[in-house]
Amino acid sequence: MAEWSGFSYIVTNLARFIRPHEVTFSGVNSTLPMLACLLAKRAYDFEFVYINVAGGVQPTPSKIPLSSSDPVLSEGSTAIFANEDFYDLCTRGRMDLCFLGAAQVDGLGRTNVSTIGDWHNPKVRLPGGGGGAVMLPTARRAVTWRTEHSKRTLVETLDFVTAAGGMHGVVTPLAVFVKREGRLVLQSWHPERSLDEVVARTGFAVDARGAEPTPPPTPREIDALRSLDPQGQFERDARISIG
Amino acid sequence: MASDHESKLMSLTEMVARVPDGAALALGGSFLHRGPFAFVRELIRQNRKGLEIIKQSPGYDLDLLCRAGCVAKARAGIVAMEGNFGLAPWYRRAVETKQIVLEEHACASLTAGLRAAAFGVPFQPCGGLHGSDLPRLNGWACLKDPYGSGQDVWVIPPISPDIAVIHANEVNEFGDTRIYGTYNWDRIMSRSAQRVFVVAERLAPVETFKERPEMTLIPGFMVDAVAVVPNGAWPGSCWPYYEIDYPEVESYMDEAGSLDAHLARAPELQETRRG
Repeated sequence: MAEWSGFSYIVTNLARFIRPHEVTFSGVNSTLPMLACLLAKRAYDFEFVYINVAGGVQPTPSKIPLSSSDPVLSEGSTAIFANEDFYDLCTRGRMDLCFLGAAQVDGLGRTNVSTIGDWHNPKVRLPGGGGGAVMLPTARRAVTWRTEHSKRTLVETLDFVTAAGGMHGVVTPLAVFVKREGRLVLQSWHPERSLDEVVARTGFAVDARGAEPTPPPTPREIDALRSLDPQGQFERDARISIG
Repeated sequence: MASDHESKLMSLTEMVARVPDGAALALGGSFLHRGPFAFVRELIRQNRKGLEIIKQSPGYDLDLLCRAGCVAKARAGIVAMEGNFGLAPWYRRAVETKQIVLEEHACASLTAGLRAAAFGVPFQPCGGLHGSDLPRLNGWACLKDPYGSGQDVWVIPPISPDIAVIHANEVNEFGDTRIYGTYNWDRIMSRSAQRVFVVAERLAPVETFKERPEMTLIPGFMVDAVAVVPNGAWPGSCWPYYEIDYPEVESYMDEAGSLDAHLARAPELQETRRG
């Protein structure tokens, strides 16, 4: 059976949220979702509309940039869809799937990207609001990821609620969560790890009813990811350890 | 409003000399891409203080200005170096130690504020924001739809920068401005600001603007000052001319490194000497 790395687990499981014919968006500071969108284009037989923060609409970039907002991601586009365009698309309800970053996620699928500690006296000032506060409640589905699966990233109580609303899925190096009846529940977990470990390392209560081990990567998924990161630079930069 | 039939060309030094201490500056581009970075470095060389920086996704520009102690306030959506560089370290420290005041936005709420100013209305509805702590933090109001849909909408007060500073691909002496690839948030910045300064990679003949007027993002009559600085978005990218200079950004991020040495390597110094 093909094995996962933390990196391939996150990128591939993000890609598995992409559905046929939908408008799917990757933004700034979002290297792993950018790779997921490009992976889906190479590994899956269905069409979908890939748009990105570099203004790209169905781009065919000549290379894969380290920065997920690099203008090379608009190469091959037949249009430039600038920042106001994709935000307005989202708020009027036409963005099907939006990948959004988070530092902390709670059991309701709300996110904090603002501060560790009190907002007015931060221990760590994080990047801030960004797309989430407007896109999370207005996208049809939003999906986030964490490169660390721990009680400090998947929390019972957020230090600050930057964004709330339509979180559909969360991917970590260890597990995939989806929202059901207003709460995140476990959909699947890394097949070489245990359900007990997922529960022990998650800060909110884990509902694992119906969850199963994550299906292994398919040969096409493996080939697509290898073609996107032939030197392993993205995997090294992501510094993901399953722990 | 600026005139449309006189040359606005000047050196970068002269352009920055027109910026007073305490000015509210909207900076174009996004993260390491097509930012007015030569302009920002010249602000530091001319020792501007107490600046307010307005930008949806600042990074190197805001970090550099924080590092040099030029900033009093930032109004921003998301601040990071991006690429594979992570957080903006000097900005982060400036907020944590309260050297600067942060007005934290979503990118779209900052845009709504710029739209309110651009549209000439006292506030602008912004989609989303429901359930976020940001509206309470910023004292924003929530209105019920007066037309009876039952929807509530957050409204953002106007944000009108004193000067929008745009780094463009091509400009002519009258200020007509072209950008290749995405223009990020530059269009709404140019419409919301009191004045517009354009730093461009190169001059292009007026005739080329007349041939393709739909390619002009900002008409010259709205532009107050123009400077030509090749490679001025260094160490960031300016599509399609050049990419991010990753080794230079890495060197900038080295906390033991010298800010002066970084500034001394900047391409605009050649331009300033010539200009």
